[in-house]
Amino acid sequence: MPIRFAYHPGNVAHSSAPEVDETMRAACRSLDIELIDMPGATSCGAGILGQANRRLQITLNARTMSIAEDLGMDIITPCATTAATLYEDLMMLKADSSLMGEVNRTLEKTTGRVLEGSIKIRHLLQVIMEDIGIENFSKKVKNPIPSPLAPYYGPNLQQIGLIGGDDVFDPWYMESVIEAGGGDPIRYASRTTSAGTPGIFSEEQTVLRQSANILSDAKTMGARMMISACTLSHGVLDIYQGKASRSTGLNTNLPIIHFCEYIAFLTGNFPTRLAMLKTRVAVIGD
Amino acid sequence: MVLGIFSVYIEEGCITCDACEEAAPEVFEVTEDTCFIKSDVRLDGGFDRNDSKSGLKTEVVQTYSDDILDAADGCPVDVIIVVEAKVDEVEVEEVIVEAEVEVPIAAEATQVSADIEGLDAFLSAGDRTLNIFFGSQSGNSEQLASTFAKRAGDYGLEGIVHDMDGFDIKKMASMRRVAIVCSTWGEGEMPDNAEALWQAASSKDAPDMSGMAFSVLSLGDTSYELFCQSGKDWDGRLEQLGANRVAPRVDCDVDYEAMATEWAQEALTMLSAVDDSGNLQEELIEAIREMADGGASVADGEDGFIIPDLTSDEIEVQLSVFRYDPHEKTSGSDTWLCSLPGHLTLLESLRAIQRTHDGSLCFTDGSPHDPNTAIVVNGRITLPGLSRIETLSNGRPGALNLHLEPLPGYDVIRDLCVDFGVLTKKREEASLWHVSRTREAIRSEQGTLIGSMDPSEAIALHKMSDSFGAQVLHSCSDSIAYSQSYLGPSVCLDLWVKRTDSRTSTKRAEEIDTLLGGSNAILAETDLAPIGRQPLAGKEIQSALSDAKTRALELNGYNGRHGKHVWWYAWTMKSSGRVNDTVLYRQVLGPLGLLSNLTSGVTARMLTGFTRTGGKMVNDILALVAPPAGIGKMPRQFNKRVDDHYEVVSIFNSLDSRF
Repeated sequence: MPIRFAYHPGNVAHSSAPEVDETMRAACRSLDIELIDMPGATSCGAGILGQANRRLQITLNARTMSIAEDLGMDIITPCATTAATLYEDLMMLKADSSLMGEVNRTLEKTTGRVLEGSIKIRHLLQVIMEDIGIENFSKKVKNPIPSPLAPYYGPNLQQIGLIGGDDVFDPWYMESVIEAGGGDPIRYASRTTSAGTPGIFSEEQTVLRQSANILSDAKTMGARMMISACTLSHGVLDIYQGKASRSTGLNTNLPIIHFCEYIAFLTGNFPTRLAMLKTRVAVIGD
Repeated sequence: MVLGIFSVYIEEGCITCDACEEAAPEVFEVTEDTCFIKSDVRLDGGFDRNDSKSGLKTEVVQTYSDDILDAADGCPVDVIIVVEAKVDEVEVEEVIVEAEVEVPIAAEATQVSADIEGLDAFLSAGDRTLNIFFGSQSGNSEQLASTFAKRAGDYGLEGIVHDMDGFDIKKMASMRRVAIVCSTWGEGEMPDNAEALWQAASSKDAPDMSGMAFSVLSLGDTSYELFCQSGKDWDGRLEQLGANRVAPRVDCDVDYEAMATEWAQEALTMLSAVDDSGNLQEELIEAIREMADGGASVADGEDGFIIPDLTSDEIEVQLSVFRYDPHEKTSGSDTWLCSLPGHLTLLESLRAIQRTHDGSLCFTDGSPHDPNTAIVVNGRITLPGLSRIETLSNGRPGALNLHLEPLPGYDVIRDLCVDFGVLTKKREEASLWHVSRTREAIRSEQGTLIGSMDPSEAIALHKMSDSFGAQVLHSCSDSIAYSQSYLGPSVCLDLWVKRTDSRTSTKRAEEIDTLLGGSNAILAETDLAPIGRQPLAGKEIQSALSDAKTRALELNGYNGRHGKHVWWYAWTMKSSGRVNDTVLYRQVLGPLGLLSNLTSGVTARMLTGFTRTGGKMVNDILALVAPPAGIGKMPRQFNKRVDDHYEVVSIFNSLDSRF
C-alpha cells in the first residue's frame, strides 16, 4: 500500500531544474510513494514574493494548501525552500486566528476555497526517515554509492518543527540516508548555513563567498560529492561554483547533485546517469 | 571538579617524528610507522597504540602528567589523544583507581544493596525517637528544631521537639538520640529557656550520659567575641558526661540556613544509625544516607515546596574548541575527551578545563544571561551559562561531540573571545539614537505629565526587539561574516524599531528611511532564514527584518537588482502562477550582467550542466547553439500556466494591484 501525498515540485523544477522533478517521480515510485499532482499549485514565493507583499504570499500559499486539503493529503516536496515557506505560512495562519479569518475571506471571495489548516508539509528526506524508516529504505538500495559524500541541508529545511526529530543545527537525517546508501557522510560545519541564494542577483559577491565557503568546507573535510536538499541552493552551489572559486581563491570544485537525484540513483533508476556521475566524481577534484 | 589524565592513546596518522618520545620517553615509543604506549605504564600491560584506551597506572599519571600533556601539545599532527576523567579536587589518585578497577565498585554496590534490605528491619524495630532540644531566645532555634523534627521521618526517626525550659536532666540522660539546637545570647550566655537545664547539666551531680548519642547545632554571631559559646558548652559538657558525639558540632553565623541544613543531613543520618542501645551501627550509615537522599526530593520546605533533583548522570563528551593564537597568528582546535555531569553548563565546563588543564584557554566569562559570553556550539549560537551539557545532545549514539567556535562576524581576539568593536562602529555609523517628536502627554494620577503609547503598538515594538542582545543578533546572519560593509541584522533591526515607533520625529524617520534604503543596510542581507531559526533571535525578528526589507524596496521604487528580483518574481507569478527564471535573469541582470555571466562561465555551466545529471548532453549542446532556450538547463522563456490561473490573478488583483 503506497503512501500518498499531494505533490509540490518546488519553484524551478518546471524550468531550470527539470532533473529534480524527473528524479523525484522515479525515486518515489521506487520507495512506494504515490505522488498526486496539484496542477493548480503556484510557486511558494520562496520568501521573495513576501518581500513585496507578505499577505499576498500567504494567501497564494493558503490556496495551494487548500488544494491539498481537498485531496485529503499532506504535501510532499523535494525543495527545502518550498517546504519551509509553506510550513512557515501555515504555522503563521494556525497561530493567528484573525489572520486565518482574513486570508480565508479573501480566498473565498476570489476562489471559493477555504483553508482549514489540517495538512502537514513534508520534505522527501523527512518522509524517508519518519514514514518509510531507514531500515526499510536501506532494503530498497540497489546501486550503493560508496564515496565520501557531503550532505547540504541549508537553513530553510532546518527549522524547529519542520524537520521532525532531526537536530536543526547538527542534523543526522541525511547522514543516515547516505550511510544506508553505502556512502561515508562527511560532517562539516557549514552544512546547514545559507548559501545566500535569495541574494544571488543583488549581492553576488557576498553570495559567492558564502557558497565558496560551504563547498570548500566540505571539500576540505574529504567530500567527493555534495548532495543538496535544497533545489535553489543546488543551483547556486553548482552553477556559480567556478565563479565562486575565482572570487575567493578557495578550491570549490565539487560535483553536486540534488537529494532526489541521489535517491533515484540509489534505488536503481537512471543507471546511465549514475555511471556518468561516477565518472565525474572520479575526474573532478584533487 | 577537576579533570585528570586517565588514559592516552594514538590515533591514525602518526608521522613518527619522535617529538612525543622526546617529551615523555617513559610513556611513548615511536616505532617504524606509528607510536606505541609502553606496556609498563598501562594497566592492561599492552604494547600498541592503546586503541582500547586502557588506563594509565596511578604512579605514571602522578609522575608524567605534564610530560604527557607536553607531548600531546607538541604533536604536529594532533594524533595523541589524552583521555580525562572527572576527579575530586584532592583525591585525584583515588578516582583514577576507581576508574581502573570496576569489580570492587560493583561489589561495593552489592553490599549497599544488601544493607538497604536489612535497613527496613532496623528502622522498624524498637524505639526510633529522636529528641530535639532547643535553646532559643529569638525563636530561630525553635523553628529549626521544628523543621528538623519533620525531616526526621526521611531518616526513619520520630522527631520530638523539647523546650529546654523546665526539662529534667535525668530524663534527658535516659534518651538514646539527642540533637541540640542552641543559640548564644549576649556575651556567650545561654538563652533564657536553656539556662536551668544547662545549670543542671553542668553541675557535679549531673547524670552519666554514656548511653546517649548526640550532635549539636550552634547558632551565633561572629561579631561577638564568644561566638556560638552556648553550643560549644553543650557539646563539650555532653562529651564529658560520656555521651557519644556521632556528628560534629556546626557553628552557624547569622546566615545559618545553609549550614544548618548541612548539619541536619549529617546529624540525622548518624543519629538514625544509632540502635536501641545507643550504639552506632556504622555499616548502615550509607544505606540510611541513600534512603534519605531518595526522600530528599520530596517536600523540602515547610511550605511544601519540592526541590527538584537537578543532577544528571555523567556524559561522555568530546569537546572540540577553536583555538587562535594572536601572536603566532595560527588557528586550529583542541579536543578534550571527558566525562562530565549532564547538568554542568557549558560555561562551567570551560571554566573547569581552564582551571585544571589549560590555563591559556580563553573565553568570555560572565553571568548566564550575559550576551558577551555567547559562542557557537555545533552551529547554534548559544549562551554557554544557560546550556546544560545534556541538553546539547541530539540523540546520536556514542560520545557527545561538541564543536565550540567564536561568534561569527567579529574579529577573534583569542580562542573563543571576540572583539565587539566592529558592532560599535556600525552602530555609530547608523547613528542609533532616538529623536522624539513633540507629542501630547497625559496627566498621571499624581498630576505629572507623561508620554503615552497605545498598548498594542508598545507590544509590537517590544516583540520585534526582543532579542538576547545586539552582540548575539549581529552574529545570527549567515552573510555578516562575508560582507564588510553590511551593517548587520542588529543595527538594521534597531533602525526599523525606531522607524516604526510613533514617538520618533518625522525628520529622524526620514533619516532612518535613507539609511534603511542604502546598499549596506537590510538589502545587503542575502538570506533572512538563518536569523529566524536561531533560538536566540527567532521568527519575530526575522519577520520584522522582512518588513524592513519591504520598506527599503518601496523606498527605492523596486529599482536596483534586489528590487527588480522581487518585482519580476511577483510579476511572473501573476502571469502564470509559476516563477520564470528566464525573465528574472534577463530583467534583473540586464545585458551587462548576462554578458558577465557569459564570460565568467556561469552561463556555460548552466548550459552544459557540467556537474549535474539532469538532461541529455545533446540537449546541452543544442542549448549552446540556440540560447536562450527551453532546452537543456536553460530556463524556459514561457511558463505553462497553473490550472485555474484566473484564481491567482484574482488574488493578486484583490491584494496588490501593482503587478
